[in-house]
Order: sequence, then C-alpha cells, then structure tokens
Amino acid sequence: MTEGILIYCFNNTEVDYAKMSLISAYFAGKNLKKPISLVTDQSTIDWMITSDLYSKAERLFDKIILQERPRYTNNRILHNGPAKYTVPFLNNTRYSAYELSPYDKTLLIDSDFIILNDNLNEYFKIQQPVILGESIQDIYDDKRLGYLDKFISETSIKMRWATTVLFDKSEESEIFFDLVKTVYENYNTFSSIFRFSPLQYRNDVSFSVAEHIMNGFIPASRYYLPSILTTLDRDILHSFENNKFTFLIDENLQENYFLTAISTQNIHIMNKKSLIDRTDKLLDTL
Amino acid sequence: MNNSYEKALEFANYQYTLSLKQKQLREQNEARLTYGYNGGLFKIDQTLINFVEFLISKNRVTDTILLDSHDRPVLIEDLTEFQSEILDRYFSSVNEYFEEHQKIKKQRSVEKLLDD
Repeated sequence: MTEGILIYCFNNTEVDYAKMSLISAYFAGKNLKKPISLVTDQSTIDWMITSDLYSKAERLFDKIILQERPRYTNNRILHNGPAKYTVPFLNNTRYSAYELSPYDKTLLIDSDFIILNDNLNEYFKIQQPVILGESIQDIYDDKRLGYLDKFISETSIKMRWATTVLFDKSEESEIFFDLVKTVYENYNTFSSIFRFSPLQYRNDVSFSVAEHIMNGFIPASRYYLPSILTTLDRDILHSFENNKFTFLIDENLQENYFLTAISTQNIHIMNKKSLIDRTDKLLDTL
Repeated sequence: MNNSYEKALEFANYQYTLSLKQKQLREQNEARLTYGYNGGLFKIDQTLINFVEFLISKNRVTDTILLDSHDRPVLIEDLTEFQSEILDRYFSSVNEYFEEHQKIKKQRSVEKLLDD
C-alpha cells in the first residue's frame, strides 16, 4: 500500500503559494518521511520556472499534477499582522483530491501547514476512509477564536477542518469527495439548509457538511486528526532559525504582541506573507 | 510605583510565556503517546499499561481484544509485543518530557525560555 502527502497550490498576485508549498513539502517530507505530490496549474508552474523554484519543486515533489486553474469564486481579506490585503480565493477544487492522488492513503494538507513531528504517521494506521482535522487550537488562547471557528453557523453543525485530511481510495472516500464537490457546486442551496454564510466559499464548511451527511445527519463517533495548532493572520512570524519558528502573537488582536516559539509541534501559519518572507533563507538551501 | 508596575508586567509576561511553553510540552507528550495499531488508535497511559500487564499476568497474551481510545475493539495478536512497544514509547516520551520540563524550569526570562 502506498502512502503519501498531497498539497494544492495556485498562485495569485498577492501570495506566492508556490514558495509556501515548497516550504510545507520540505517539512512534511523531512518529518513524515513520505513522498509528496503537488496539485497546481500551468500558470503557477510558469511562475516557478521564472523564479527559479521549479528545479527545487522537482526535487521535493514525487509528482507534480497539473490541473486547470480553478475558477475565481470570491475574494478573501487576509492580514499580514496589522496590514490587510485582498486575494482571490482559488483553492476550491479540493474535491478532486480523491481522483488526483497517486497514493492508496493520502494526507492532504494546506500549504500553510508546517509539519514538525512524525505524530501524523500514527493516523495512517487507522481504518477509517476519511479522517478530518477535529478542530483548531489557537497558539495563544482559544478566547481569540470565534463561534464560527467552532461551528459552521450560529445554529448548525460543528466545524471540522480541511487543513489536514487523511483519506484512502475506498468507495466511501469516493462518495465523500463527490459529495464535497456537490456542496461546492450548490453552495447557496446548502447554505440555506445548513444556515451558513454563502458569501465566501470555505473548504472547511464543505467538508464538514459532507461529513455530517455521510454520518446520517447525526454527530457520530469518528476518529479525527489532532487539533490544528494555529497562529492567526494577525500574528507575525518574527523569525525562523535553527528549525525554530518564533512568533509575535497579537494577544488581544489590538497590536499588543507577545513572543512565543515552536519547534516540534505541527503549526498552521495563517499569516502567509510572513511565512514566505521569513523562510526565504531556508528556500535557498533546498 | 511605575518601576514596580513595570517589573510586575515583565514577570507576568514571563509567567505567561512559561505556561504556554508548559502547555506545548504537555501537548507534545500527549501526541507522542498516541499509538496507531491494527486499525485503531491508542492513548498510551498508565491505565492502558496496567491493564495490559494484568492481562499478561492472567496469561491472555494471544489474540486479545482491547478497546482503543474511541472504544473500538482492536485485535492484538501478540500482547507481549504490544506491551513492549507501548512501554518503549511511554518511557521515551515521558523521559523527554521530563528533560524539557527541567530545562524550562531553570530559565528565568522570556528570552531564555524562547531559546530552549
């Protein structure tokens, strides 16, 4: 049985997802010791070639899988510490992971998820076709999270996280990913049923809805991947040295910063720009 | 008063960094004590270790069914081998936890805590 990791990346004018996917792949490969494949589009490949990243990508990735550039659905406002910027959201084709993954068992991860230990290897041994991330956990304190980080709406089901998804090539997985696609294609309709906001497409919502439906519309006892330790996009990655990520954590989201460091726990870094800026030196060595 | 207030704030900052670091170590230890086996997922803790020891003392060593952390039945073909694995993992994890914990106990400033 083959096991591997899958990362999606589609560049836009603001965020260099190509660089991020290389960083993420580097740590995932180093710590989980599994092959990694990249799903991307031709324009991102062209950018990798222009910016001398393609040879690194060829070294780091087991396979580079081309997909048509996803159609634009909405913009998303992201922070880089106190600064704000708007990006087009293109990461909406994750339902294709089942079809595209070359592995029998696949760990699908976000390109801003950095794997710093081998704990996720234990979850490859579980017999459950699809395993989602259970929840997120704020690096500072869960009081910075809102209700909508825990539930998909004020009156609906629990939010599961598509930042990490482990799946196999079973029929149940295929049905699950087909259902995610149906939710994506009928997002407005499902938003009326499940009472979530349709304004911004979110993979986490589609995956949560699909899981709930597949569970028979009830909360079921399932295995989940560990809570996703997260730094918010208001936080700033201060430095990356000696395999240690040091963050300026915006305590109360009012620019009162607090320092902390991570070196052996997996971490979801939502401030994508600072992740790219601070890991430039590492990229040079890849 | 300003000086004492500043010192108190500095200490509060140190204390928070220390408690975050302790929380990180605790979670890291929990993660290391997660053990995937034969389709199930076990949390290696003192209860599991004791129960396995008890079963072995009663000579229930082959084809034993254990409930995992989700109360799912999992077949353990060789319980002695399973015991050896969970003990290895338990001690390597808690030893590391202990060492890290000792290190941060000695650090008396935010900078030193972050250096570790």
